[in-house]
Order: sequence, then C-alpha cells, then structure tokens
Amino acid sequence: MGRRQRLYMWLMLFPAFFYLVTAFGLILFEMVTISLLYGPPGAEVYPSLGNYAEMLASPEFWAALRRTTVFVVIGTPLQLLVGLGLALLVHREFRLRGMVRAIFMLPIAIPSVVTAVIISLLFSVPYGHVNDLLMGRLGWFPRLVSAPVNWYASEPLALGLALLGKTWRDMPISMLILLAGLGSISEEQYEAARTMGATSWQQFKYITVPQLVPAMASVLVLRSIEAWKEFIFPYILAPSFPVLGTLIDHAYHVAKRPSYAAALALVLVVLIAVTTGVLNRILRFLETHLVKA
Amino acid sequence: MKRIRLGWVLGLLAALFLILFPLYILFKYSIADRASIVTGGRYPEPLWPFHPTFEMYRYLVSRGDFWAAGVTSVRIALYTVALSLTLGAPAAYALARYRFAGYGVLIFTLLSLRLFPDIATVIPVVERFYKPPLSALPVEVQVALAHTLLSLPYVIFMSIGVFQGIPRDLEEQAAILGCSRLYTFTRILLPVAAPGLAAGAIYTFLLSWNEFIFAYYLTFTNPEGATLPVYLLRVMAWTPQKNLLAALAVVISVPVILFSFLVQKYMQAGLTAGAVK
Repeated sequence: MGRRQRLYMWLMLFPAFFYLVTAFGLILFEMVTISLLYGPPGAEVYPSLGNYAEMLASPEFWAALRRTTVFVVIGTPLQLLVGLGLALLVHREFRLRGMVRAIFMLPIAIPSVVTAVIISLLFSVPYGHVNDLLMGRLGWFPRLVSAPVNWYASEPLALGLALLGKTWRDMPISMLILLAGLGSISEEQYEAARTMGATSWQQFKYITVPQLVPAMASVLVLRSIEAWKEFIFPYILAPSFPVLGTLIDHAYHVAKRPSYAAALALVLVVLIAVTTGVLNRILRFLETHLVKA
Repeated sequence: MKRIRLGWVLGLLAALFLILFPLYILFKYSIADRASIVTGGRYPEPLWPFHPTFEMYRYLVSRGDFWAAGVTSVRIALYTVALSLTLGAPAAYALARYRFAGYGVLIFTLLSLRLFPDIATVIPVVERFYKPPLSALPVEVQVALAHTLLSLPYVIFMSIGVFQGIPRDLEEQAAILGCSRLYTFTRILLPVAAPGLAAGAIYTFLLSWNEFIFAYYLTFTNPEGATLPVYLLRVMAWTPQKNLLAALAVVISVPVILFSFLVQKYMQAGLTAGAVK
C-alpha cells in the first residue's frame, strides 16, 4: 500500500472514529469530574469523594445493587434457555420456516416502551386478564387467589414483570446467536452418530451442546451486560423497587443531584467492566475444560 | 422419532402463542370500547371487545401534540440516518479493503463502547448539552447526535460486509480510466453498495425511532421535543386509560414492524455483531 493510499484510508476512517472516541472520552471524563463535585448547590467542593462516601453509606444503593445482581443472575441464564428453545425450534427444515422465523423476530422490532405497556395492560390491577385468570373468573381455570394480586406492590413480582418484559423483548437476539452456532455444526457428525445408534437425546448431549458452548458463552456475556444496563422495564414496571439504572434516574430527575447520579453511573460502568471481564475468564476456562472432556 | 415430532409441534405452537398473544392483546385494547375496559369487577375483561371501535385512533389523530411527536420522531430518525451513514460508510469501506495493524483494536473499540449503559452515558451527555455552546443546537439535532453514538458501531459493522462483497476490480478499472479516489467512492462504489447500505439505514432508523433514554433526558425540560416513545410515557403518566395507551402503542409499533420485515436478513447481522465468528 502506497503512502497516499494509506493516508486516504485514514481519512476515510477518521471522522467516524474521531466522533466515537472523542464522544466516549468526553463522556468518561465528564462522568468522573461531575461525580467529584459534592455539596449543596452553589457551595460545591471539588474534588471530593463525598458522593461516593454517601453512596456507600446509603441503604438505597445497596438495595439497588442487590436487586440488579438478582436481575442479572436470574435473567442471564433465563435468556439463554429461552433463546436456546427458540433456536432449536426453528433450526430444521419445515414449510413456513421463513415465516415462523420472521414472527420470532417480532419482539425485537417493537420499542421497549411498548412492550412495557403491553405487560402493564395484561397485568393491570385490580382487573386485568391475568388477575381475571388467577381469580378463576374465566370459568375453565381454577381459582388460585381470592383477591386481585397487586403486582406492583411486591418486590419479587414487580421485578419479575420487568424481567418478563426484558426476556420477551430480547429473545430474538439470543436466538440468532445460537442459530448461528447451530448452523456451524456439521450434519455429518449427526449422521455418524445415528449410524452408531445414538438416540436424539445423546446426539443433543454429546454433539450439539459441546459445540454450542462458544455461542452460549457469547449469549451469556452479552445478555449479562444488557441485564446490568437495564433501565426501561424496571423504570416502568417496578418504580418502587429501583435497580441501579432507575436509581441513577431518580438521583438526576427527582433528587436533582447530577453529581450523585454521575457517581452512580460511574460505579455501574466499572461494575459492568469488571463482571464482564470475570465472566469472560470463567467461560474461557470452562470452554477449554469442556473441549478436553 | 414420532414423540420428538409431537414435542416439537407443541413447542412451536407454544412459542408462537407466547409471541403473538401479547401483540393481539395490545391490538384488542386499542379497539376496545369503554364497557370492555371498565368492568368494575362484575365480569371478566373480554378477549374481543363488546363493541370494537376506532374511537381512540380518531382521538389521537385529532391531537396536535401527537402529530408533533410523530414529526419529531421522524426528523430525529432521519438526521441520525444521515449522520450515521456519512460517518460510517467511508469508515466501513476502509475497514473492508485494508487490513492493517490497528484493525483488531478498532473493532474492539467499536464493541467495547456497548459496555457503557445508556442510562450512565446520558448523564454527562445531558450536562454537556445543557451548557453553551452545545445548548444552542436544536433539541432534535442533540438527540440525533446522541443516537448516532449508538447506531454508528452497528452501521460500520453492517457495511463492512457490504463493501467486502464488491469486487476490487471495480475500483481498479476506475483507477485505470483515471477516476480520482473520491470520485470512485462517491460515484461508483456508493451506488453499488446502496442496497446493502439501505439495510443499515433502516436499522438505524428503527434504533432511533425506538430509543427512549436519550430522547427522554434531552427533551425533559422541553416537552415540544418529545419523540413518540417519550410521548407514550407522558400519556401513561397522565391517564391510565387502557384503550388510549394501546392505540398509541400500536401506532408507534406498526411502522417498525413493517420495516423490520424488510430488513430481517440484515438486522441479524446488526444484532449479532461481534457475537458470531
């Protein structure tokens, strides 16, 4: 490549990367500087670790951290299972396969806000379809509760609804990654296994699962990042039980404390970076050991 | 073998139900009459309204703020598309044609940006945009600039494949005929790449149309600038009326559902960017 050629290429690359790198550089820089501002309006001290000290002493922060962790720990494997189920369903030839796949992609096309509205309609209080069903008002279903369930007043139920929304909307993503993984397993291996008399379950256990490990690892890493980042579903469906994302919004819009919000934001970023790194390590370790076995 | 087949059919039906039923319910509420949503607990809510009506749709189109939000959404999405393609297409071309030492680093940078939660990045972004000189920008441009941060990595990823699919001969021939590099790129390569780039454009449009956090924060103090998802949330805070909320939600979703059918194949590339080797 000649020098002029090289220069030309850098010029083509420059605008996009300049935009992204400066923006994120500035974002990170400002996040740090704003978070070091502490004190009553007009009399702030800089630099101060006051926001962080206050955060560590605040029960709300620890409660939010605990809820977010539960959200990640339950949500990530759940999304893997749902995605795997969908991927296995459409990973075979059948008539209308294209149409079924297109329908499976629908949830991701719809705005999250709309998904949250659908859930709040289905689970409305006191009278909605789910409450009607649980109260045995439809006739064919047994009466399970005597009074309408108030989904939004209970922490596990409200966060469960948020998780339901998140899982429902994002299942096509996990499905696509796993489908790509399934597609890379050669048909010959299954044929060989069948000639040797392997059952479907054995084929799944000894051929599909081991070779799907890299795709599953991708899903776990990407979905856990998204679960840490989650804001919109807990914001709409579990407003009384903030996770870290909603806590940031609360600090910014309700308490009107941008500097405290920035400190929370930075903690969240660091948390994601660290846990993703650790998860990556663990998965890589498991991968090498599973391949050996 | 028979048992597996039956299990598969049941699983498929269950999955289709799980996806389509909530969408059906949304549509049902959007055409529900009052008696179907205000039951007072005397009877269960019907699965099909007693008297289906398009009243709520008519009410929506009669509201000025609904149209304003729609226009804002379209404008922001178009600005985002224009900006993302202008910046993204040349970068994707360079990455597609020339493998250099920094290639891996660049790709890694693109991907690791997705580690930042939007709800965290939005705080410094809003603080910046509230102060001069950026506060002078129209709010629609501000939101589009923020949306470009989200879409640009995807646009670059999706377009790399498009340019890799174009034979190098094309540029070599153009060079022999004496075209300048810029001319070759804008007049020869871009038209050939256009159909593939269109998929990236539609993906970007959908991303911007659906995006909530940045639109919400940047238009918080300026209700005029609300996009449709932000408008939906405002309506939600103001009325619990199920049929109105549902009608608005349907109106927001229909264009994206139609669009997404068009770009299915390409969306796949965007959604799984970096996850599949």
